[in-house]
Amino acid sequence: MNPRASIWLKTVYARTWVRTKSIYGEPLWVAVNVGFPFFTSLALSLLYSSAGLKSGIGFAFLGGVMVSFWGNVLWSMASQFNWDKQQGLFELYITSPAPISAILIGMSLGGILGTAPSAITLAIIGWILFAPPANPMWPLVAVTFALTLASLYAMGMALSSLYLVYGREADSVNEALHEPVSFLSGVYFPASLAFPAVLQAIALVIPLAVGMDALQRTLLSLNSSGIMDLTLVYRDILLLAVMGITLLFAASKALKILEEKGRRAGTIAVRLR
Amino acid sequence: MSYVRSLIASIRVGWSRDFGWTNPVLGFSLKTVAPIASTMTALTILYIGFKNGASITSAQFPFQLGYIVIGATLYAHISAYSWVPTLAIAEGKWTFVFPQVYVSTKSSPPYLAGRCLASFASSTVTSIASLAVAVVISLFLFGVAIPLVVTPLSISLFGVALIVNIFASMRLGFLLGAYAILASKFEWALPTYVSGLLMVFSEALFPVSSLPYPFSDIGNVLPFTEFIRASRAVLLQGSVGSYFYYLGTEFYRRPHPSRPRAFRLQVRRKESEKTGSARPQSSVTFLN
Repeated sequence: MNPRASIWLKTVYARTWVRTKSIYGEPLWVAVNVGFPFFTSLALSLLYSSAGLKSGIGFAFLGGVMVSFWGNVLWSMASQFNWDKQQGLFELYITSPAPISAILIGMSLGGILGTAPSAITLAIIGWILFAPPANPMWPLVAVTFALTLASLYAMGMALSSLYLVYGREADSVNEALHEPVSFLSGVYFPASLAFPAVLQAIALVIPLAVGMDALQRTLLSLNSSGIMDLTLVYRDILLLAVMGITLLFAASKALKILEEKGRRAGTIAVRLR
Repeated sequence: MSYVRSLIASIRVGWSRDFGWTNPVLGFSLKTVAPIASTMTALTILYIGFKNGASITSAQFPFQLGYIVIGATLYAHISAYSWVPTLAIAEGKWTFVFPQVYVSTKSSPPYLAGRCLASFASSTVTSIASLAVAVVISLFLFGVAIPLVVTPLSISLFGVALIVNIFASMRLGFLLGAYAILASKFEWALPTYVSGLLMVFSEALFPVSSLPYPFSDIGNVLPFTEFIRASRAVLLQGSVGSYFYYLGTEFYRRPHPSRPRAFRLQVRRKESEKTGSARPQSSVTFLN
């Protein structure tokens, strides 16, 4: 095998293993990670219920599942290099032959594997407690889910390069981004039923919004007819694929620039604003 | 007097930690965006329920929106500052600030109380701002004016309720902080659990009576439920009598403001483990 490809794959494997081990090595993390999305989903389910719309409960729990991944992207992908920089790990990444892109891909894969148990647990609890009406088209659900995660984690990679040049701002920006992006993406409700067309169009630049729209259309339905508009689902899938590729390319480009800058000037590793 | 001085210094530390990295306007704006968004999420769900469900009539809808806008913003307010002692301890252990505070003459209670009060002040501003913005957005997005009672009397009474609630929130914060002193594992997660439980049990989004027994009783003994009820009574119904009833109940349930027993116990336990004496003499590490 090409030595560069070999190093790249070994780095991906190593970073995936570390991240996965950090979750599976302490199974209590699953219970810990499921906590906040569960209570939020539960509260919003009861709100749906008290508003007389029990068929909306599925949206609350699907939102909880996807918020687990969105939180992981923000706090364990975008911020990770910034924390690594503070702890002195990033210097090791920069000076080692390990490609940064491989580290990020490994982090993403590990993040998905590590978040999956809590997300699945949440979905099971929601199903047992409320048995929300679902109308799934599994092949489309699988494609949509995979593409949503791919574009979300690609966004996390792009953000990680951006956060790298910042210090304490990164945490505050994360806190400010989490809820508004969830709201605009219609994580806990079908945005098409609540937002005007202009707001829906603006939200289409957010991978989470596109992914949620497609997942809600392929999994759930508020009306009993169960008829879904597949054209919109295919539009979302196409958008997600384009976003994933664009963000991956942007992340790789931005990191290459920062990596070069860091190696030449040493500015990334020593600058903490 | 020196206790007050420590308290004021800690308030300044809290503000510096929250806003020192940027200018205050940007700092407050970033802190206001999240509660606005979470309030709007709850309001949007109610709107979808109103449009597609059968439980809410057109006459009830504006009041229901008011019910949620007050509950959601006050819930965000409580959860924003009640976990500050945990944050101060957990972050302080990592940055070695807290062991220094711990070994100082006045020790940790004034420091944690000051951090809590700093967060209370900033969270009050952001919560009121998010309440106002959510009312305006609701008008544009749903075409409904939320009928809030905004008079000098109602605003003053609401201000009193916010202050009375400090004791309950600070006690919760100290309880969580006690765990953060004891452990160096999952201490970040505990406040999110408690915050999630409060979302369900503090009547932030729906009446606790809609929960099955005995869960409905849990909400009724929480001081935060009474605080939110009192605020709704004065801001939504304009009922001063109900306000004082709920606030009186909340005040009655408040614990000792500064030193809950669990916190004292954990501090004493750490002290005796590390030094074998009542007070540490040189340095204490909290990193287990």
